[in-house]
Amino acid sequence: MSEILNPYYLQIVMFFIINAIMGISIFFTLSTGQLTLGAAGFMSVGAYVGALLTLKAELPIPIAIFIGGIVAALVAVVIGLPTTRLKGLYLAIATLGFGEVVRVIFLNLEVTNGALGLSGIPAIAQELTNYVYEFDMDGLLDIDALTWGNLLTIIILLVILALVILFCLRIHNSRVGRAFQAIKADDHAAELMGINVVYYKMLAFVIGAFIAGIGGGLYAHITNFINPTDFSYHKVVQILLFPVFGGSNVVWGSVLGSFILTLLPEVLRFLADYRDIIYGALLVILMAVRPDGILTEDLMDKIYRKLGVKKKAYIPETQVLTERFEAYKAQSKSGQE
Amino acid sequence: MLKIENVVAGYGHITALKSINLEVPQGSIVSLIGANGAGKSTTMRSIMGLVKPTEGRITFEGKDITSMKTHDIVKAGISLVPEGRQILQDMSVYENLEMGAYIRKDAEINDDIKKVFKRFPILDERSYQLGGTLSGGQQQMLAIGRALMARPKLLLLDEPSMGLAPLVVNEIFEVIKEISAEGTTVLLVEQNVRQALKIADYAYVLETGKIVLSGPAEEIRHDPRVMEAYLGGKVE
Repeated sequence: MSEILNPYYLQIVMFFIINAIMGISIFFTLSTGQLTLGAAGFMSVGAYVGALLTLKAELPIPIAIFIGGIVAALVAVVIGLPTTRLKGLYLAIATLGFGEVVRVIFLNLEVTNGALGLSGIPAIAQELTNYVYEFDMDGLLDIDALTWGNLLTIIILLVILALVILFCLRIHNSRVGRAFQAIKADDHAAELMGINVVYYKMLAFVIGAFIAGIGGGLYAHITNFINPTDFSYHKVVQILLFPVFGGSNVVWGSVLGSFILTLLPEVLRFLADYRDIIYGALLVILMAVRPDGILTEDLMDKIYRKLGVKKKAYIPETQVLTERFEAYKAQSKSGQE
Repeated sequence: MLKIENVVAGYGHITALKSINLEVPQGSIVSLIGANGAGKSTTMRSIMGLVKPTEGRITFEGKDITSMKTHDIVKAGISLVPEGRQILQDMSVYENLEMGAYIRKDAEINDDIKKVFKRFPILDERSYQLGGTLSGGQQQMLAIGRALMARPKLLLLDEPSMGLAPLVVNEIFEVIKEISAEGTTVLLVEQNVRQALKIADYAYVLETGKIVLSGPAEEIRHDPRVMEAYLGGKVE
């Protein structure tokens, strides 16, 4: 038991969950057809704000992380006003620039400790370990207090991830989700249907930033140490790859993508410097074979059907409405009898 | 109902519309005809707020809509069937129609979908097929159906006959007449001048950004200049 639950494995699981949350934050803006590269920037805002609040203001961790998310969203409102009017590559470049500006600001601010970064950030696992001692759970089920702390952290992270996924799924089938889909398919046509395209693009941008901010706050309180280079250009590309690799049309794609891409470098660790080659080759192959990522909407429909929770059945009764069909229905009914 | 006064509009430093005046009376079909590049589509885009006029005024039911946002103009009661259809390819026919009713929240949306299906039975048969898999004519029907779902008072049609087989073109023009008979005002942009003049009450002829001729469609149809330039017939 203790072999499986060693801290190294548990940490990988935590990183996987945070990566999944970050992947969903980019998925959100992608679902309106916007390619933004600001995720690392918003993540760093969430991480620094959260970390400073727990370090300097000694706020409880959950509140600090939440405020970090809110601040990231507020920054997104300001950044979004000009940038969400941009399209395609221009938006990508502008948001990439934003990420770099934020990084340089954190590099030069005194309160963020410059290039040294912030260390000694209270860790979620540590806090939970203290509770474990308090409730006398040390040694329960032959698991020591430290491992319990890590396990509880993972459970909390999983709950947050589940909430984010649930939120995405709910929104997908709502009025807002339909607007997102229409904008992604053709923003011109969407505008002509009376959809306020700028508003919905902004909404997706801000929600994405909020999720990224939360992800950043969680990251800071799990690694206990952050510095500006954690949120560099490299990080954005890494985050962007999660939805692109796993499938950018469904929320589960980001989850699968982050799972594979978090695990892969660890599994390939024995290859040392050669692992990047394999990583790259895998991406090239995937893009050639499945340009929409591993999970697509069609594949998800098939999986849902297999699992018996068929999401949206094409029942002609609800789709075809004219008398012609009603006549056909009556006919087939009498045929059965 | 719709009034365009001295509107100047263009893209960058190219002026596509050089001060045009146009009026669409309630309940009528007005055709806007002209060659490629005359500014027909730009006129439509200016009405919808997709191109902002640099000068002039557009009023709809007495309300100035010149600087309104496109989605607000749709809410005010104008729908455009865009050139090239712009169907949502990955949504089903049914979903496309639902999206057309995006600005509405009433309970009669399903009734209106029924009406569209009755008007275009082929869409009924294909209701759960993806928009992108339809033929050109079916897509045009879907685009018209989708625009009607917003219950517009004024329907703008930008080249509805483009790229369609002659039989389908006739069908589309029949439908436009029906829509008009049911009380929706229609502004039609067409290169198929013969057909457009046949169903219209009034017509405007646009040439390089200027209205060169206007009046009742019947008159325009028999105007020697129009016959020579657009209908391919010399005046005897």
